[in-house]
Amino acid sequence: MKEISQFISYILPLLYLGVIYVYYVLFTGKKKSWINKTTLILGILLIIHGFEIGLRHAVLKTIPFSTVHDALSFLGFSILFVYMIIELRLKNRGSGIFVLFFAFILEVVSTFNLSWEPETNELLSSPTFAIHAAFTIMGYTAMSLSALYAIMYIIQNHNLKKRNLGKLFTQLPALNYLEKMSIQSAFMGIVLLGIGLLMGHVQAEAIMGEFWPKDVKVIAADIAWALYLIGYIIAQFLRLHGKKMAYLSIAGYFILVVGGFLIANLAETFHEFN
Amino acid sequence: MLNNDIALGVLGISHKTASVEIRELVSLNEEEQKNIIHQVTHDFKVNNIEVDGILILSTCNRTEFYISAEHIDIILPAIRQLLVTYKQCPYYNDQNITYEKFGMEAARHFFNVICGIDSQIVGEMQITGQVKDCYNFAHHLDATDAVLNKLYNFGMQVKKRVRNETFLSDGTVSVSFAGVELARKIFSDLADKRILLVGAGKTAELAAVHFLENNVKAINVANRTLSKAQELAEKFGGVSYTLEDLDTALVEADIVISATSSDDYVITRSMMADITRKKYYESIFLIDLAIPRDIDPKIESLNNVYLYNLDDLNGIVEKNLEKRRMEIPSANKIIDEFMVEFQKWINTNTMASVVSKLKSHLETLSNNEMSRIRKQFPENGYQKEIENYTQNIINKLVRQHMKSLKKNAGDPEKYKQHIELIYNLYEIDKE
Repeated sequence: MKEISQFISYILPLLYLGVIYVYYVLFTGKKKSWINKTTLILGILLIIHGFEIGLRHAVLKTIPFSTVHDALSFLGFSILFVYMIIELRLKNRGSGIFVLFFAFILEVVSTFNLSWEPETNELLSSPTFAIHAAFTIMGYTAMSLSALYAIMYIIQNHNLKKRNLGKLFTQLPALNYLEKMSIQSAFMGIVLLGIGLLMGHVQAEAIMGEFWPKDVKVIAADIAWALYLIGYIIAQFLRLHGKKMAYLSIAGYFILVVGGFLIANLAETFHEFN
Repeated sequence: MLNNDIALGVLGISHKTASVEIRELVSLNEEEQKNIIHQVTHDFKVNNIEVDGILILSTCNRTEFYISAEHIDIILPAIRQLLVTYKQCPYYNDQNITYEKFGMEAARHFFNVICGIDSQIVGEMQITGQVKDCYNFAHHLDATDAVLNKLYNFGMQVKKRVRNETFLSDGTVSVSFAGVELARKIFSDLADKRILLVGAGKTAELAAVHFLENNVKAINVANRTLSKAQELAEKFGGVSYTLEDLDTALVEADIVISATSSDDYVITRSMMADITRKKYYESIFLIDLAIPRDIDPKIESLNNVYLYNLDDLNGIVEKNLEKRRMEIPSANKIIDEFMVEFQKWINTNTMASVVSKLKSHLETLSNNEMSRIRKQFPENGYQKEIENYTQNIINKLVRQHMKSLKKNAGDPEKYKQHIELIYNLYEIDKE
């Protein structure tokens, strides 16, 4: 079991790379006949990745978010899943290469952090933790997509303004669709991450007796989330559109993710991965 | 190597060989096509050779006759003469403006036509429907034979694969559609979008028609003369404005098509800056079809404002046409595959006909010999056995030829030689 799970973990980045190649071929217009095969390919990758997550946790008896490997792998898996739904709904494959490349990076980092230790930490075995971690990761997935769609918006806006109407322009979706996806993903991210953080506080109170533990990472995560929320509310209130909204989404994501990453790695915190 | 010695030919005049004036003169309406088909399939014989099938494709860009007949090289000149007499014009006899193709070259031409490779606008899809109609018309009149049926059948398959596997028909190639395509790249769905036509002339009206086909929410008109604006707005069921109320009209619009004859800018940067503020910076797409231009190009620097003029749209069309032309080699590869398949089908069809003639010829010989034996040896009790043995020998001989023909099916030259050998060796009448 261990060998199978580890083997799949090692080949998953290669499979992601293979799928990215398919989207690259479609993006460059080299093989039109592959267009109808992407959903099947994505489905197969999703099943293999899901099987790896399931197998690993069936053997190690842990929930799938307690290590760097597990968390990033699940984040990549979530992005793949959400992207597949978007592709099926909108029948547009233009953003695939960008979204899947992001999932691929997560998968590569995840594979380099591969560990094989059964879960012993009581905190991480709690069902409340599972809910906290699942919502948090889904929240990050949605925010990652929001930032990705915002980047695509900026690229497509540039294409339209500068009359760069080549392959990139043809393949990328329409501006208002990219904007809508970015805003909707941001909203979903705020809600999901909000629930995730709340569940984290509930768990902290149950285990440590403190709803607001005085931990730099927890405080930073709460502040970053609040800033993201305030930014979103102000943008909606001012009816911000287009490029400004896209830049705001990217900035919010950077504060949340890069800031969180730096604090987690530079500051002393109880809140760490195994 | 493909065999051009099959009973198929095409005679045609197209945009590549003749001017529109000549094409108009030689084109055939439905009634005329019916008459020609009737004449060719009923009362038409050249040196005792009949026409087995005919398809007439008559569009604004081409008039072509696909004929299936033995000795097509003899039939086509006679068809030319028939058309000259029927249409009372000499062009069908003019070698400079007509073309003839025979055998597999005629089949390739048909595939090129149905895929849009031979069209004036490469990759245009209208031709497929026209070929379909012409085939159904001829088929309904019982004027198509097995060769033409198969040619059409393969043609539709080629077209399907070329559409699915190449970009030959992708990208818009008309200026008006380029505007619609760009609008789709900004708004994705045009169903809730409002169009404003600035100017009530023909240019603006024609451009608006394409947007109307995309079910836009409203088409409003602003014009210097209100009565003209009202007249056009009524056509589209929209609201009319004078140019004095242009600000109000612009706030209401998502897409603006401007085509006035004004010498100055009708929409200025300061005006547009104010409009975008009022629209809360929602995207607005401006198409300037006027010469001299109606819209100040400095508008382009405003956020969420997209301005395209006539040159920009022409550039898009040119690029798309170039992209389509670059897809021709990919389409030709698919056509090559079907050419081989069509050749194989022709070979199988010919083989069935030759084998049937050979068998019938040998059976006639056998029957003649049996009659002689019966006369010479009326008391012979082994006649039945001799008959069976003879039949077995015939079957073995025919099978041997079939085996050899199948083996040579991939090499048209050898295949043709073998067919000739059978005809000559057994002195079988080809007709």
